[in-house]
Amino acid sequence: MNTLSTTHNTSRFRWHTLTAQVPMGIALASLLVLVGLPLLFVLLQVIFPELTRGSLANAFSPLLHNLADPELLALTGNSVRLGIAVVIVSALIAVPLGVLRALTRLPGAAWWDVLLLVPFMIPPYIAALAWVMTLQTNGFSQQLLGVAGDGLVFSFSGIVLVMAFNIFPVIYFAVSRTLSAVGGRYAAVAQVCGATPWTAFWRITLPLSLPGLAAGLLLAFALSIEEFGTPATLGPAIGFEVLVTGIHRRFSDWPLDMPGAAVLSLVLVLLALLAFWLQHWLLNRRSYVSLTGKPAPFEKADLGPWRWPVLALFALMVFLAVGVPLLAVLATASTDTLSGGLQWSNLSTRHFTALFANQDGALAALATSLSLATGTALLTGILGALIAYLVVRSSIKGKSWLDFLSLLPNTLPAIVIAVGLILAWNQPFWPVNVYNTSLMLLLAYSCLLLPYPVRYTGASLRQLGDNLEAAARVCGAGFTQSFIRIVLPLIAPSLLVAMLMVFAIASRELVASLMVTPAGAQTVSTFVFGQFEQGSPGVGMAMSLVAILTTTVLLVGLTGVGRRRLPGVG
Amino acid sequence: MRNLLFIIVLLLSHVSTAQTLTVYSAGPNDLIQQLARDFEKITGTKVQVFQGTTGQIMARLEAERSNPVADVVISASWDSALALKRAGDLLEYSPKGADQVPDALKDTHYIAQGIAALALVWNKNSNTPRPGDWADLTQPEYRRQVLMPDPAQSGAAFEWLGGMLTSKGEQATWALLTELRRNGMVVSGPNARALNPVLQGAKAAAIGAVDYIAYGQQARGEAIEIIFPASGTVIAPRPMMILNYSRQPEQAKAFLDYLLSVEGQTAVANQYLIPARRDVPDRRPGLQELTLISFDSEAMEARRGDILSQFRKVTR
Repeated sequence: MNTLSTTHNTSRFRWHTLTAQVPMGIALASLLVLVGLPLLFVLLQVIFPELTRGSLANAFSPLLHNLADPELLALTGNSVRLGIAVVIVSALIAVPLGVLRALTRLPGAAWWDVLLLVPFMIPPYIAALAWVMTLQTNGFSQQLLGVAGDGLVFSFSGIVLVMAFNIFPVIYFAVSRTLSAVGGRYAAVAQVCGATPWTAFWRITLPLSLPGLAAGLLLAFALSIEEFGTPATLGPAIGFEVLVTGIHRRFSDWPLDMPGAAVLSLVLVLLALLAFWLQHWLLNRRSYVSLTGKPAPFEKADLGPWRWPVLALFALMVFLAVGVPLLAVLATASTDTLSGGLQWSNLSTRHFTALFANQDGALAALATSLSLATGTALLTGILGALIAYLVVRSSIKGKSWLDFLSLLPNTLPAIVIAVGLILAWNQPFWPVNVYNTSLMLLLAYSCLLLPYPVRYTGASLRQLGDNLEAAARVCGAGFTQSFIRIVLPLIAPSLLVAMLMVFAIASRELVASLMVTPAGAQTVSTFVFGQFEQGSPGVGMAMSLVAILTTTVLLVGLTGVGRRRLPGVG
Repeated sequence: MRNLLFIIVLLLSHVSTAQTLTVYSAGPNDLIQQLARDFEKITGTKVQVFQGTTGQIMARLEAERSNPVADVVISASWDSALALKRAGDLLEYSPKGADQVPDALKDTHYIAQGIAALALVWNKNSNTPRPGDWADLTQPEYRRQVLMPDPAQSGAAFEWLGGMLTSKGEQATWALLTELRRNGMVVSGPNARALNPVLQGAKAAAIGAVDYIAYGQQARGEAIEIIFPASGTVIAPRPMMILNYSRQPEQAKAFLDYLLSVEGQTAVANQYLIPARRDVPDRRPGLQELTLISFDSEAMEARRGDILSQFRKVTR
């Protein structure tokens, strides 16, 4: 029971360098290929502006000129403000939901989990557009209820709310999974010693769940300073620009300003570093071990008459995060013309017909996206679990570099990673042609999404006692064997949720896809984006709807195959 | 693990071969897909298309420079062609049928595939009077009813601004924009998405919108009108060109010939763009029916930074 002692040492048991060398080598090599390589080339490009032209002339010249960019401070300030606001709002929504989900008998719990995974599948720019079409003057809300919220949707608060609705599930899953793992055992002990349930929760359960909560908050912050879709859709109307949209503008507006974009990217990375360091500092001051691997029956609290308000709260949040965007998408996709509005006479299946007539390869795009998302989930899941394990459990030097490298993509704008990947893989010296194949998309998604499995499994590993592994070692198991036989089953709930998130996000990723999709191929997101660009919002929304429903059905199917509900439910 | 290998093998089977032509296009997607299919039927050369905005295409070309992939580029901005030519990236070629294209729309290294014009798009259901000219939108009837695409994000909107600065004069143009802003005009993102609020009726009119998209939407039943003010507007020709590092210049030339053939130009006209060839009929008001402002787009491009910062100042 010395688990609550504030020691510096999170675990007394460490694998020796020798047994962990092979897996460490694998993890490090994969990280260097996935994350290090594109980053290295971006850095080289920053330093040598003529690099793509095969010359090292004018080194450092653009860097200095861009550091004096007058926009730099304003954009950075906006990004920080936005990130902090989104994290606060998301936490206010997600923490109560997560706590209720983990510690009480919530009716239909598994279904709420599935519903709260849906926001990951809704591309942020589609969600933002859906809110615009709902709330703007003459939008769906005014047509149906007579109320418009033009002033709300086009404002800083509007941007924060739309983003929070999209991002809060990250915190929800982190909190609910961690709390389930912490369980009520210690709280029960506290109650035996005379604490009220409330005190037990505040003094025992919540502090023990800090790793998960912190990991969730950090991910949410990184996500919100890195998200492009919502600020790009809602920002221009109020002149609100953040680092990501600034980077994007420099990267894709003719004439290009690659050095300028790179400098802004460096600032973003520094911001995320700061958040990473803060999380690190918070978590490494004490030990959070609360899982011994021994079965611990844990009685969830009964809600009793409180059931209805709690269900109403869940329903409201799901309605805002999933219902409104999906209904707006459905309305756009199933009306003949936008100017015709929501009239029965304006109902039409025209856009869906166009889609299933396989116009411009819609179905091929769907197949491409789904297979890539599956591949990404498997790759990042295996690699992420391994990296997290090495970081938490091995005594290898430089493991914090592993941790850092695996978090880094979360802080880099997708467009920067995409450009780095192009620079890296489109070199004549590679023996196989990776560039201009779909493998580029797999690399890009894996790089971007690796942080999820690493953060989630890392958080649950910090709570996992090391007795079992020590026992395994005494019985003669090596690093790999005990990892597969003991650790993986115990961290499976967190890992699976993280992999489902990766699957969902990879199935709709837009920004990097636009850059690295090989000629002749399309993903769901590039298809939809193209439809909007060419003025067919109906077809674009129809495709979004089909993609969101397909991925949701697949997820429910995937989770339903092994067990009849989402993992990690005690 | 076996699944993963299977997926990787599946992905690697996407590799392009030497007999394919790679085209980067910023034009309408169904147009280029159809032209690519037809060209393959005729010649047997497979055409792979990367579809994006002009900015995305330029970014990709820049990033790929050390090991180029593209053979042909169709951009939506005349200046981008000029910039590529200056960088020495273009192959000199004049496709068959170039004699039918007006001189202003061709160069030794690039030539227009089609032309878009910038229009005032107005929602007929909006309970506002039909505007006749840009300046009408400063009237109180259009209070908070107007939007325009951001010239920083839309090359076409920047051309419109350059045209206005040339024809009206600097002071009058900034005064007009100040007036519009005072009347509640909103500057939104890039082009096509800027039209959505006008379609839904959140706004009554869009200034400097790309016309062919609006014509397409009108043809599909949207209640909008495309108005070309008598005081004049500007055109945005869309250049096509061959990159000089293309490994199959002959096929690339044949593709350009096809794009400029009567067949290829008819496909352009069907997208409500103005075809580059005089002898192919328009399906919308053509170059003769529009009052065009001619201006030195190169000089405007050189002042781009100043113009955009002035625009931002006026519309904030």
